[in-house]
Amino acid sequence: MFELKNVIPFPLMEKKGIEKSNIWNKHLLFENCESIKITAPSGTGKTTLIHQLYGLRKDFDGSIFFDGIEIKQLSSHQIAVQRQNLVSIIFQDLRLFNQLTARENIELKRVLQTPYYDSSKIEEMAQLLMIDHILDQPASSCSYGEQQRICIIRALIQPFKWLLMDEPFSHLDNKNKQLAIELITNECKKRNAGFILTDLDDDHNFTYSRILYL
Amino acid sequence: MSELNKLLNKLIRDNAGKAKLFTAIVGLTIAILLLLISVQLQLNFNELLNSKNNKDSIANFLIINKEITDASLGNTELDDSIINKIKGQSFTESVGLLSPSRFKASIESNSSQFPFYTDISFETVPAEFIDLQETNWTWNEQSPYVPIIIPTLFLDFYNFQFSLSQNLPQITPAIVKMVLFKVTVYGKNGSRSFNGKIVGFSDRISSMIVPPEFMNWGNNVFAADTKNQVSRVIIKTKDPSNPNLTKFLKQNQLTTDTDKTRFSKYRKVVDTVVRLIGFAGFILFIFSILIFTLFIQITIANCKEEINLLIVLGIAPNQLRKFLMGRLFPIYCWLVLVATIIVIILQYLLHIHLAKQLVIISPFIGSITLGTALMVILVIWWANKSTIQKAVYPKNTN
Repeated sequence: MFELKNVIPFPLMEKKGIEKSNIWNKHLLFENCESIKITAPSGTGKTTLIHQLYGLRKDFDGSIFFDGIEIKQLSSHQIAVQRQNLVSIIFQDLRLFNQLTARENIELKRVLQTPYYDSSKIEEMAQLLMIDHILDQPASSCSYGEQQRICIIRALIQPFKWLLMDEPFSHLDNKNKQLAIELITNECKKRNAGFILTDLDDDHNFTYSRILYL
Repeated sequence: MSELNKLLNKLIRDNAGKAKLFTAIVGLTIAILLLLISVQLQLNFNELLNSKNNKDSIANFLIINKEITDASLGNTELDDSIINKIKGQSFTESVGLLSPSRFKASIESNSSQFPFYTDISFETVPAEFIDLQETNWTWNEQSPYVPIIIPTLFLDFYNFQFSLSQNLPQITPAIVKMVLFKVTVYGKNGSRSFNGKIVGFSDRISSMIVPPEFMNWGNNVFAADTKNQVSRVIIKTKDPSNPNLTKFLKQNQLTTDTDKTRFSKYRKVVDTVVRLIGFAGFILFIFSILIFTLFIQITIANCKEEINLLIVLGIAPNQLRKFLMGRLFPIYCWLVLVATIIVIILQYLLHIHLAKQLVIISPFIGSITLGTALMVILVIWWANKSTIQKAVYPKNTN
């Protein structure tokens, strides 16, 4: 469970209209298994929020708790345990290792902790998202669309209770987006996990339990 | 290798260069070797000084007297002030006064087949300074014989010179101990004879020694004067090669068996050489650790982006540290092992070489040397760990 208590990122403190936000400077609880959509135009802090929830950014006022523990207070080891087993992420800026193949990028996340899936699951997911043919190519030689799907599989190969998605389909066409949505929905169901997804516009890609405006 | 380490190997590569790594490895091996050698040499040296297997152990007891010069003739008495001064020295463990007999005495053979007669004098020392475990080292007027300890040198002199020149048979120490002879003591109150018997041979004291009870009785009954002069003392010292001892004796115009203290000159040289080796090893060791620390820092700096992304994806500090340590630490362990094996071989060769010269040192390296090797591994491990910690998590960022 995530709990946000009056969180305001330092860069947005002086910004006008911040009081209209459903999230900034509010007290919020994201219960386990919830499907939360956060909609906002560019520059309002979607990525910042995702990074704060993931423990990457600490430049904010207020507090964020994960399962009752303040994220800012977590040690390097606790953060690592959280990222390996409890919180998975699909970055907007992809963040792949260019020198590794697509398969190796996914494999790395699979073996970082006790594997949740067998390595054959990579092949299976890649087939579902239609990128099985590029699995052994260096990530750097893949298109953005392919890279984004690699990132989606990388996030789904590990165990998690929460999946954080930052504009996860920005490089995908409708057909590939539908495939990805189906896979993500199934994987979250399988784990009984919740997700938080940010995007620019309203959509009905998932059945959301809550839609919040930043 | 685990699947994770295979992938990490692809991401984090060494950029320092193999030639530099090789040079550093050679440097560190020499450094560890020098360190271990200096420790082992010091141990060997201590063993030589304290071991009972070596002839040098007799040097733990020194007899000290005034130098006989034209100026000191007739004035060789050691007064209380100088005895107290000797007692106060750091190299002195204990001091025993050698009391000379102040009565006349002679010994003569009871056997007509083996006749001898000679005038003689005795000395006595406290029992703790005698290098023989003689249980009957006591005397009273009812004792069947007076126990006497003579210098080993006397028997050697008899067997290898006197017997040959006089056409007499050579005798073994066991036979000597079986012979009873006549000891006659005389002085102001006439004379008195006892049986005497050699009970042992001493390497330590170069005079004929009798139990203190016999000496006191003789001095009381037969001595012409009552003045109890001390002109020699025996000291027990841990290290007769201690240069301070030689210096003290010289300053106070005292002298002792120079054979025993001559070792101090070599000791000074050996000490200096061992210290230099140890110091050179230590300096080399520090530099080698610094070089390897730089290797780790360069590797981490060159792969900063990859390491940051790994941390973002959730690699745990201990996983990353294990991986980075796993690249160089086994090399260090091998180096220490190789250096230790070399020292083991050198020690064994030295043991064989010295044994030919009747100097006995252990064929095995000491536990302190092994402990030093383990300590070196620990220091390297700690240096690696803290370097990685500082380079990867400089401000505890996630």
